[in-house]
Parts: sequence; structure tokens; C-alpha cells
Amino acid sequence: MAQIEPDTPFGKSRLLQRFEKSKLKQNANLEIIIAGTLFFTLAFLAIFGTFLQTSDPMQGDLLARFVPVGEGGYILGSDHLGRDLWSRVLDGLQWSTACALTANCINLTIGTTLGLVAAEKPGWARTIINQVVYTFQSFPPLIVAIIVVVIIGQGFLPLVLTLGFLAWVVFMRVTYAEASSLYQREYVIAARLAGVNRWAIMFGHVLPGIRASLFVVFAFHFAGLLIAESALSFLGIGAPLGVPTWGNMLAESRQYLFKAPWMLMVPAGAIVLAVVTMNLVGDGIAGLARKKGPDINI
Amino acid sequence: MSASHDAAVGNSTGTDHGTSVVTLLAPFFPLLSQLQRLAFLLFFVTTLLFFLLRLAGDPALVLAGNDATPEQLAAIRAQYGLDRPLIVQYFSYMGNLLQLDFGKSLASGEPAMGKVLTMLPATLLIAGLAMLTTVCIAFPLGSWLGFKPDRAERRGVAGIIFILQGVPGFVTALIMIQVFAVNLRWLPSLGMSYTEIDTWILPAGSLASFLIPSLTRVVAANVAEAMREDYIRTARASGAPGYVLLFRHALPNALLGAAALIGTQFAFLMGGAVITETIFAWPGIGWLLIESVQTLDFPVVQALAFCIAILVFSVNAVTDLSFRFIDPRLRTRGG
Repeated sequence: MAQIEPDTPFGKSRLLQRFEKSKLKQNANLEIIIAGTLFFTLAFLAIFGTFLQTSDPMQGDLLARFVPVGEGGYILGSDHLGRDLWSRVLDGLQWSTACALTANCINLTIGTTLGLVAAEKPGWARTIINQVVYTFQSFPPLIVAIIVVVIIGQGFLPLVLTLGFLAWVVFMRVTYAEASSLYQREYVIAARLAGVNRWAIMFGHVLPGIRASLFVVFAFHFAGLLIAESALSFLGIGAPLGVPTWGNMLAESRQYLFKAPWMLMVPAGAIVLAVVTMNLVGDGIAGLARKKGPDINI
Repeated sequence: MSASHDAAVGNSTGTDHGTSVVTLLAPFFPLLSQLQRLAFLLFFVTTLLFFLLRLAGDPALVLAGNDATPEQLAAIRAQYGLDRPLIVQYFSYMGNLLQLDFGKSLASGEPAMGKVLTMLPATLLIAGLAMLTTVCIAFPLGSWLGFKPDRAERRGVAGIIFILQGVPGFVTALIMIQVFAVNLRWLPSLGMSYTEIDTWILPAGSLASFLIPSLTRVVAANVAEAMREDYIRTARASGAPGYVLLFRHALPNALLGAAALIGTQFAFLMGGAVITETIFAWPGIGWLLIESVQTLDFPVVQALAFCIAILVFSVNAVTDLSFRFIDPRLRTRGG
């Protein structure tokens, strides 16, 4: 069998060569490396966290209450009931990620669809959608979420549905702004003249053109939803009592601020780490797409 | 924005006639279309809340308590008109709202709106202080960062602000309690009094921390963008010193853009106020909201929603209108 000659002058693999030519290499900087590392670490912990727990997050040990960080086999200390904070933080990560991810997907679907429909052409659909968006924008979403969650009850599903159906406005605004200009482009007009179905134009021609911006919004919005979810849990109306979420852990820590400050610092650090990671990811994608990331408020 | 465009199209014929009443009133047309939007908003919010709150549970059960007999329940239903069909209740309710009658609190029997209005000043106090703190910190800091964004020390500060942006306001509030109230014992950790400024600092400070990082970043981005404009290069080439470049040329453009965000920031602030007031046991409308939602006190929740909607709307309308007067570009473009 004839030996295959490397077709590159210095014997570099094709993959490496492609990487060097790619946009990724030109844009690879410290921020993206940090963002990627943090993101994949957190994703790994969220998926496989169950196997890394050192003890049952719900099982307390009244002989080991308020153990400081790093002592007696408690990596991040223990709480007022002697439960392992490291295991509880991992459970909280899973809960928050699942919550934010599901709600974000609902937001993405609703917001993008409405944005595309509104951007397509002037008419009653655009008028109504814009009026609804204005209404959603001029009322504090967190307050609506509080009222709705209290009414429909605690738990994962009510929380996800509330956030999912309330916080889609940012997706609609970005889609609307970008799709409006895409609808003026020649390739879309050509498709329309060729008689392509309007929904096919919408999702097959216009939507791919705004993919990058939607990724950016998705990442920033993910961070916003993490905060909203923990805020609701912290107020005692999101996650049911006893479920180890970051918001619940923060609420529990309040009585022991003097005795056990790590009960506050551990979940607080987890929230900040997760939110900063998603902000960095959003910023990184925005940098790659050479676009300025929108400022997201929850 | 689209509302102002509608208005501009609507009265373009009027402005052609020179100094007519229409021209003089032109800056107020956006306000009219905004009032129409406010009407829609209030209708939407109250209707949604009416049906949502009725879904939540039977108000008669709340009123009567757990050990009420069926006869007592029926009497209460008849007294409050709860025995009528839902749609009839809805129309009589909306009729009362039009006369600004929100009914009485189920918990205390006081007029619902009166209860909200007595709580309102406490919220306005910390919201105002927080807004003031935010503006005083975010605008100078953002201008400093955006003036020469590539300097090493400013990149460091920008990085810190990026991380601070990821700290939720209620986490900041808890950390502030931990540091200033528990460890240092400088300030009280909860409670409020109009006469003791001590009690204002932590709530207002933590509420401001909801906004400072994001607003700083917006100001910095706007200033940096303005500094890249051609007119800045021209001014620099003509020998203008740095402070003239910043204060005379870059800032007016950049700040107007950032300040236009104050309306949206205020809506965000009202959401933050709910959490802050709960943490600090601050007797404002946010605290009242949590209290009355949890006890299913519908009239108070309705009055609160109404009040918050009008508050956010007024802040939006006032900033919008004042910038229309300050910024000539908005005046010519928007009508």
C-alpha cells in the first residue's frame, strides 16, 4: 500500500490547518477561552453532578451542623440541619439550569415567531403584536411573574411556564429589528417573487440570517432567567420549600448570617459564577459574530 | 418609537401651515398616543388580573375563613356579588374601576387604593434615592471608562463591572447585610423610619446595585462610540484639549442615549423594589404586593398593579417628553 503523502508543506493535519485559517483562530482570545472553560465545566457539573455528590443533599446530620468550609469531609461546609452544601449546590445547579433552559426555549419559540410575523409586512398582525410587546415592556415582568406564580402554584412546571410565557419580549424585539431589514434584501424578494410559501421564507430564508443574534440573546437571557428563577425561589414562591435550589438556600442562610456566613457565600457564589459565565458566553458569541450584544434586563 | 412616527405622519400637513396651534402642540402628540397605549395597558392588566385572581380561589372562602358554614359563605357571596355570573362581575368591576373605585381590602376592610397610597411614599423614597445614586455613579464612571476604553486600568475596571453585572441585586443586598449590619454593625439590617437616615442606606444602596453595572456599561459603550465619530477627530485635530472633547462633544450625545433608558430602568427598579423591600422589611408597595398576593387580597393586588402601571408609564412619558425638548434630533425626527 502506497504511503499517503501529507498534502501540507509542514505536515500539519488538515484539522489544524483549517483551524488556523478559520475565524475562530483569528478571534480566539482570553475571554472566549475563559468563557468556554467555565461553560463546559458548568455544563459537565449540571449533567453529571449527581455522581459527584458526596452525600444525600436532603439528608441532614444534626451532629454536624454549621461545619465550616473544607472541614470534616464537607467540601463547602454544612448548613443549619447538617446537610452537605456541595451536594445541595450541585442539585441547585441542575434545577436552575433545567428551569432556565426550558423557559428560554419557550421564550425563543414565542418571541422569534412573533418577531418574524411582525417583521413580514405592515398590517393588523404587526399592530397587535407591537401593542402586546409595548404592554409587556411597560409593566415590570418580575411583578407579573410573582403574581402569576403565586396564583398557579409552586413547583417546576408553573415556574417554567410563567417565565416562558412572560419573558419572550427581548427575542421578539431582536428578531423584529433584524428580520425587518432582511425582508428588504434581494434574496428574500427573489424567493417571494418565485412564489415560495410565506412560512418557508420566514423560517427557511429569514430565520437563518438572524441566527447569530439569537444565539447572543439566548446566552444573555439565560443569565437573566437564572436570576429571575433564584429571585422567585428566594421570595419563597418559586421552588417548593425544601427543594435545594440556590434561591431557597439563600433564603435559609438569612437567619445564620453571623454564625455561618458560608451558607450565604456558597449559593451566592454559585449564582454569580453561573450568571457571569453565561454573560461571558453571550459576549464571546457577540464578539465572534462581530456584533454588539444587546443589553438585557430581566 | 413607532408611536411617535405615527404621530409625525399624522400631523405633517399641520406643520406645513406655519405657526398654527398644531405646531405649538406638536411635541405633545406622542404623549397622546402614549395615553392611548396606557389605556390599553391598564385594560389589559386589570382584565388579566381579574380572571387570574378568580382562577386562584374563591374570595368568599378567604373572607369567611376555614370554619365557615355554607350559609355564611352564601351570605358573603351575596354581599360581595360573588354569586353572579363571572362575566357580570367583570363588567360591574370594570365599571367601578372607571370611577376609580377599587373596592375594599379583604384583609383589613380599608379602601384598597388608600392602602396602596399610604405605602407608596416609602417605595418612592428608596426608588428615588436608588435612581439618584445610580446616576451619580454610573454616568461619571461610564464616561471615564468610555473616554479611553483601551487603557489597561480601565479595562480592568470594565472587567470588574462585567462581573458585578452578574451579581443579582438580592445577593448584593444579602452580602451588604452580612458586611455592614452583621460584621461591622454600622447599619441596621431591617426596619424603616422616615427620620433615621441609617435605615435608608442599605435598602437604597442594594436597590441601586440592581442598576449601576448595566447602566455604567451602556454609558461607557455610548461614550466610546461617540469618541470614534468624525467630529471628535476634527475637534482633536483642531487642538481641543481632552476635557473639551469629552464634556463638550462626546458626552451630550452619549448621555442622551443612555438617559433615554431611564424609563425601562425604572420598570426594572420596581421589580427590584419588591425583593429589596421584602429583604429589609421596608413597608412599601413591593412588600404590600407579596403580602396581599399571598393572602389572596384581590382588590389590593389590583390597585397595586394599577398604581405600578401608572407610575412606570409616567416616568417613561416624562423622560421621553423631556428628551424631546432637550435633544433637537428627536424633535425633528419624532415630531
